[in-house]
Amino acid sequence: MGSTSTKIKLRTSDQKVFEVEKAVAVQSQTIKYFYENGCPGSVIHVHSVSGDILSKILDYCKKHVNSAAGKEDISPEELYEWDTNFVKVDQNTLFDLILAANCLKIESLLDLTCQTVANMIKGKRPEEIRTTFNIKNDYTPEAEEAVRRENKWAFDMLGV
Amino acid sequence: MDITRILPEECLCLIISLTSPVDACGSAMVSHALRSVADCDAVWEKFLPSDYKSIISGSSSSSLLSLGKKDLYFHLCFHPVLIQNGTMSFQLKKESGKKCYMLGARALSIIWGDTPSYWTWKSLPESRFSEVAELKLVWWLEVKGMIDVRILSSNTNYAAYLVFKLRNRRTIGFRHRAVGLHINVGGITSREVRRVSLDPSQNETQHVREREDGWMEVEMGEFFNEFGDDGTVQLSLREVDTSYFKQGLIIEGIELRPKNTGS
Repeated sequence: MGSTSTKIKLRTSDQKVFEVEKAVAVQSQTIKYFYENGCPGSVIHVHSVSGDILSKILDYCKKHVNSAAGKEDISPEELYEWDTNFVKVDQNTLFDLILAANCLKIESLLDLTCQTVANMIKGKRPEEIRTTFNIKNDYTPEAEEAVRRENKWAFDMLGV
Repeated sequence: MDITRILPEECLCLIISLTSPVDACGSAMVSHALRSVADCDAVWEKFLPSDYKSIISGSSSSSLLSLGKKDLYFHLCFHPVLIQNGTMSFQLKKESGKKCYMLGARALSIIWGDTPSYWTWKSLPESRFSEVAELKLVWWLEVKGMIDVRILSSNTNYAAYLVFKLRNRRTIGFRHRAVGLHINVGGITSREVRRVSLDPSQNETQHVREREDGWMEVEMGEFFNEFGDDGTVQLSLREVDTSYFKQGLIIEGIELRPKNTGS
């Protein structure tokens, strides 16, 4: 059982150091790569991730590793609910989680966080999407009309 | 902060591909930056069925594969492509990208269909197929179709529709008389046979509906395709009361397309 108790040290962008169980850390394909290709025992730098975000991400990885290994008695429905609560965060945190999941290559977390943003887009009119995500309309009225014509059936369905 | 300035294109692509074709089109109108993501091939490739390449390369329109993915998606929504040597057509439902098929008359088994005094085969400009079957005269009317559910989209409720026309003149045997429509999924024969008039008078319940392509259709039944492991679906039209004869029915085919439950 040596491998499960092996620890990996991670240093974040704000110089916080985390000592993490290997099984949890290697949920990240990026960390796994550095662990397998770097010097044993060396600290892995996760430059683009802050301590706050990494701490959340490690919670996520730990939950999923424990549940998959049967260390924690949690039903798929309970895990789904846990995931749902996990992404109930403000928009900046959500985007930071996406950026970190993308950079650390944690596919299930990337899907979870991107699905959360996707759900915020679904069924919304263009104007509502702009407001939700702070996007400026940079179309000229003519260009906007052209895009509208091109996608007319969708706008009919969205009630635009 | 503007999301399109924070997240890299690959993440925005993933996000849009997790919405729906309708939402992707809506997103295209938000801004230039979001449009370039919402129109990109990676997004629309996800909305296309996973086996679209093999379906199209086996069709009479394999050159479509050179189109951009969004253009291809909409082409397939509005223009059915012919497959199986032109006896079947394939298209997409635009809201969901789910698969729709039509078994043309040549892909159906029509009792007496090879006997020219009973059924004739002709080409019509309004047909997507090269031939349709026209009923000249029969007492025994029986048409059957069969489709392997593995080719359908999974987790989808499908309905089957008989697509037909009645010749303007000399249509006999359909007014005030019902035909039986029957669906059989995976060899389990359902007891339910729909009795429907293909030529209803105004005071009868209207099961027949006019389609945008100029044909008429009537629902034959519905079924839920979960994983595509139910084998085959068999569909039949039957009117075998031999005390009167029937003529004037023109069959385009049998269509299978997703149907919202409860609608």
